[in-house]
Amino acid sequence: MLETRNLDKSFGAVHVTRDVSLKLERGERRVILGPNGAGKTTLFNQLVGELTPDSGSVHLAGEDVTALPVAKRARRGLSRSYQKNTLFDGLTVEENLGLAAAVHTGNATQLWSDSLAKPEVREIVEEVAEQVNLMPFIHAKVSEISYGVRRQLEVGVALATRPLVLLMDEPTSGVGPEMSKGFHDLLNNLPRDLTMLIIEHDMDLAFDVADTITVLNYGEVVFDGLPEEARGSSLLKEIYLGSWEDA
Amino acid sequence: MAHDLGFWTLQALNALQLSMLLFLLSIGLTVIFGLMHFVNLAHGSLYALGAYFAASLAAVGGYWMGFFLAPVAVAGVGILLYSGLIKRMRKSGPMSQVLVTFGLIFVLLDLTRIFWGDLALAIDVPTLLGGRLTFLGVEYPTYRLFIIVLGLAIFGALAFVLSRTQIGAMIRAGVDNDAMAACLGINVERLFFIVFCVGCALAGLAGAVVAPLLSVTPDMGLQILIPTLIVIVIGGLGSLKGAIAGSLIYGFVQTFGAVLAPQLASVLIYALLAAVLVIKPEGLFPAKG
Amino acid sequence: MFRHNTLRYTALVLLAAGALFQAFTAEYFGLEILTEILILAMLVLALDIVAGFGGMVSLCHGALMGVGAYTYAILSTKAGIAPPVAMAGSIALTGAAAWIIGAIGSRSHGIYFIMATLAFGQMAYSYVFEAPIFGGDDGLGGISRLDLSLIGVDLNDSRSFALFCLAILGAVYGASVLILRSGLGRSLTGVMHNEQRMRALGLTVWRVKADVFGLSGMIAGLAGALAAQHIMYISPGLLSWTVSGEALVVVILGGLGTLVGPLIGAAAFVVLKHELSSVTTYWHLVVGVILIAVVMSRANGIFGWIEARWGSVFDRRLADATRKQEPEEALTDA
Repeated sequence: MLETRNLDKSFGAVHVTRDVSLKLERGERRVILGPNGAGKTTLFNQLVGELTPDSGSVHLAGEDVTALPVAKRARRGLSRSYQKNTLFDGLTVEENLGLAAAVHTGNATQLWSDSLAKPEVREIVEEVAEQVNLMPFIHAKVSEISYGVRRQLEVGVALATRPLVLLMDEPTSGVGPEMSKGFHDLLNNLPRDLTMLIIEHDMDLAFDVADTITVLNYGEVVFDGLPEEARGSSLLKEIYLGSWEDA
Repeated sequence: MAHDLGFWTLQALNALQLSMLLFLLSIGLTVIFGLMHFVNLAHGSLYALGAYFAASLAAVGGYWMGFFLAPVAVAGVGILLYSGLIKRMRKSGPMSQVLVTFGLIFVLLDLTRIFWGDLALAIDVPTLLGGRLTFLGVEYPTYRLFIIVLGLAIFGALAFVLSRTQIGAMIRAGVDNDAMAACLGINVERLFFIVFCVGCALAGLAGAVVAPLLSVTPDMGLQILIPTLIVIVIGGLGSLKGAIAGSLIYGFVQTFGAVLAPQLASVLIYALLAAVLVIKPEGLFPAKG
Repeated sequence: MFRHNTLRYTALVLLAAGALFQAFTAEYFGLEILTEILILAMLVLALDIVAGFGGMVSLCHGALMGVGAYTYAILSTKAGIAPPVAMAGSIALTGAAAWIIGAIGSRSHGIYFIMATLAFGQMAYSYVFEAPIFGGDDGLGGISRLDLSLIGVDLNDSRSFALFCLAILGAVYGASVLILRSGLGRSLTGVMHNEQRMRALGLTVWRVKADVFGLSGMIAGLAGALAAQHIMYISPGLLSWTVSGEALVVVILGGLGTLVGPLIGAAAFVVLKHELSSVTTYWHLVVGVILIAVVMSRANGIFGWIEARWGSVFDRRLADATRKQEPEEALTDA
């Protein structure tokens, strides 16, 4: 469904993405782990098209999308939520979701009627609001809801384009442990055939949710496999905690 | 259209002179933007004020009095503007700052009319710089050569200051990241103030210098503002390199365009502007990115 | 996106009533001022759409209106085209020019965008000033108004023309609301709030900006065609940056992004201009001071201030009636 081949990127002397090749099957839920600075968000930016790799390619549903700009990739089913809330402040939850749904259903540029009034848009808005537990806040403005609820909306907006592949960048960043548990339930609400690539720091959530795990360190893939294998691996401990020799 | 080498040299000198004039104006505007992140749209009005001050001072004490004191007077106006208006707007968003300086254009327009009247003023070229010189095989007005030399000298001085002195380093740091620069102990507020006043002085100098060539009228400020804005948009905001590149491009396109394709001339530079906005909206040599 | 509220409806009703009253009771000079207000109101509606709801502050809208005026004048006087067709032509041409400007400027923001519009507006001014067909500084005269004799209306009568402009303003206001409430309007607001995200959702952002700027240009062109008919003479001064500047001042004075505010601003501005012009020739000084004062006051113009101060009072009852229960933290139930 989503594949990268030999993705490589440097900023001057800093080699942020080293020959990264990933392959996700349809419906696969993969978590990307790695310490800060490992290049996870940079990888996302290249997948989505906000950053151009120096070499390598990105494939979506079998099609080479490396040359396509952000908007075109999004319309082909690639969606992304951000580590930092990137919402439409000043609008309501409903309007935020509605904007995404409108683009997906082709109502975003027509002049004849309100996109939010269209049944196909309303349907998506209500469905996504249910999926991410936003129904109680549906008419609230972004400024009126708490940070945790905004994180839910952040994912909701990405979902409202009914994507084939969803990239989530640290969805639980900045939320407390109770919220994290809530995210586990949220992810379980999502359609099983939705392919997901999630950057996470919350280990419990990661191992709970993932079908597969990829570990990134200094821009390169150092581990790619099942959660059980990663859990037992001393490699992970070493990357995150450092080995005894360094102490 | 067969012209001899002399003709082209003449045009090149004209282009260079226009470029230098625009450089004096754009460098102040662009570094102010690079440092303080707003465009002082009233910059053209300060240039007009420089011309007016020069005209009045020249009537009293000759050209050179205007040349040296007009920039100082305009810098003084700059100090008033900064402490009275701009400093207060520092906390507001860039749009508010732009709107306020746009309002200033209107205000300064009428203020020059109030103090100096509606009729055009004139200054004579100083006798020292009168007449023509033979330069590169052509006879060229000495005064225009003076403008070219002045512009190049100031470019050289600014390049030196920015790359070799500590204050230059502080300015470049501030342009790069003013919050960080402040954390490093650089008095960013004072830096802004100095840069702003120097920028105003340069605008005033440009006005004083151009006064003998054009007539001094209330709308000369807006006449030069648009070319100056085009220069910094094409050249890129915030850098010396951008200012000189943009000025040279504008000067040469405009001058040679008028000679080679007079029908297209006025549209040519706007077409270039449009191309830059579409292809490289941040300009050719922006300070950042 | 644009919503009416009690305060806005009230303001609209008062403005309409005032305009009608003036239209039916005033004599020639009062009617001329009313018409000037109505035409300026159309222009500032066009500007508020892009600036207040799209974040694209423009300093070329005066020039766009000028383009509309000159197009109408050339088509109807020199090309001998019937006024209604000439009006359609000026709307179309101005809309196209605005679309191009919106498209070129779509990758620029804030200050860059303003500077670009200023430059292109000035380009139009220079072109009109220099091309001999436009009559240069002398301008063009002998422009005729639309012929509505079929429905028994003589537009050469000041009162009829004023009412005609009022009707058109009403239609323009309605069209503006429709545009802002449409899918395109919502997307525009989305772009203004977070362009990056809209792009990431799959929207072709440049196209939305260009389309809306084009629509705004069509309204400006219409205003221009009416302005040409009003005075029956036009000059390059119509495209001067001062006209664009004044339009922006009116929008800021009235209240950016309120749609109703600029209407109030237009009325206040024209009246003030006429009052002060008889007293002093330093009208630009006043304009500048007004702009600086309004911006420094942090209030969003006259109407913005009114809404901030009293808006909640009127709508509190409405808000209470439709407010849902205080939402619980959905994820904290066991």
